[in-house]
Amino acid sequence: MVMTDGSVDEGQELCEAVRARWPEARVSRSARGEVTWSLTPDTLLSVARVLQGDPRFSFEQLMDVTAVDYLAYGKEDWVTETATATGFSRARVAVQAPAVHPPMGGRFEVVYHLLSVSRNERLRLKVVLSPDCPPLVPSLTGIWASADWFEREVFDLFGILFEGHPDLRRILTDYGFIGHPFRKDFPLSGEVEVRYDPESRRVVYEPVSITPRTLVPRVIRNDARYQNTDPGKKEPSHD
Amino acid sequence: MGMSAEPLPPPLAGFGSQGYATTTLDALINWARTGSLWPMTFGLACCAVEMMHAGASRYDLDQFGVIFRPSPRQSDVMIVAGTLVNKMAPALRRLYDLMPEPKWVISMGSCANGGGYYHYSYSVVRGCDRIIPVDVYVPGCPPTAEALIYGILQLQRKIRRQKAPIG
Repeated sequence: MVMTDGSVDEGQELCEAVRARWPEARVSRSARGEVTWSLTPDTLLSVARVLQGDPRFSFEQLMDVTAVDYLAYGKEDWVTETATATGFSRARVAVQAPAVHPPMGGRFEVVYHLLSVSRNERLRLKVVLSPDCPPLVPSLTGIWASADWFEREVFDLFGILFEGHPDLRRILTDYGFIGHPFRKDFPLSGEVEVRYDPESRRVVYEPVSITPRTLVPRVIRNDARYQNTDPGKKEPSHD
Repeated sequence: MGMSAEPLPPPLAGFGSQGYATTTLDALINWARTGSLWPMTFGLACCAVEMMHAGASRYDLDQFGVIFRPSPRQSDVMIVAGTLVNKMAPALRRLYDLMPEPKWVISMGSCANGGGYYHYSYSVVRGCDRIIPVDVYVPGCPPTAEALIYGILQLQRKIRRQKAPIG
């Protein structure tokens, strides 16, 4: 809703309703009015049940389930702070800075996006998994049927287990695939590649033959375009 | 006759005035083969949309005798249109093996040619020629419908140069 002074209070009512129902809820609202609630796996099931059934919330639809791997959070593949006079390639250094874990969490976060059609409200649930327990989250298939394939996808790509899921098997990756490709420690080019073997007359799997590489764009972030916003000041030449 | 985009081989050109014509069996068979290239419908990704454009009324692949078939048993050419992933590779090879001889393959777009954008991916075959032999590579991401038609015309040229084995 747009207020009389032009500001937007999207999500404000929802925030207040959540706080009224759960006073200890860690719910926040972004500048664009997106409401995010961080919680722990043990409270997820009871919270979800209320969010779906309580007429104040009535989130009829689970729009998406996804996850975040914070293993490489805060790490940089390349530092390209300054350009050098000798050329672009010298300006980058491969670094592995110590990882910075997100506040209060472990490696994984499972994210749920809820939509209430009747109330025209959206809510994001972030389930933070503690670092010292297996990646295990209760399944929401009993509350929203759409959670079934979403949770299979998250299991396939991140290896997060959903307790109580009726059929938790891989959904996207190859038959017999090993590993969870969206984990940050999964090599980009994987472990195996396929080719047709004319002798055995079938498609065979072999270890990958290409060398691993960093695909993060090597961008110089501190070049002349971002410096010297004052037109009167003379910019020192880099060339 | 006038509707054919392919001119008849020179020995057949005098057919109308002479009442008969002589030609080699090779030329006759290749004329038939190039004029009725039936592709196996194998759309895998966005390239398939350009392939549909090529088949639709504006570019009209029918004018070249190119009619998409839903079955490998009825097909002469396989157009690999899109990203070939590891999971699909055995199925692609199976369908290729099911096609009767003689058969040809057009690899359409960067992904089918060499993995393209997904070359370093864990799940994508780095070129469909790792699975099946390819006759014509059509570059582009995706190639335009015109580019695919040009690739088909190149394949026709290639077939015309081939000796047609009998039996």
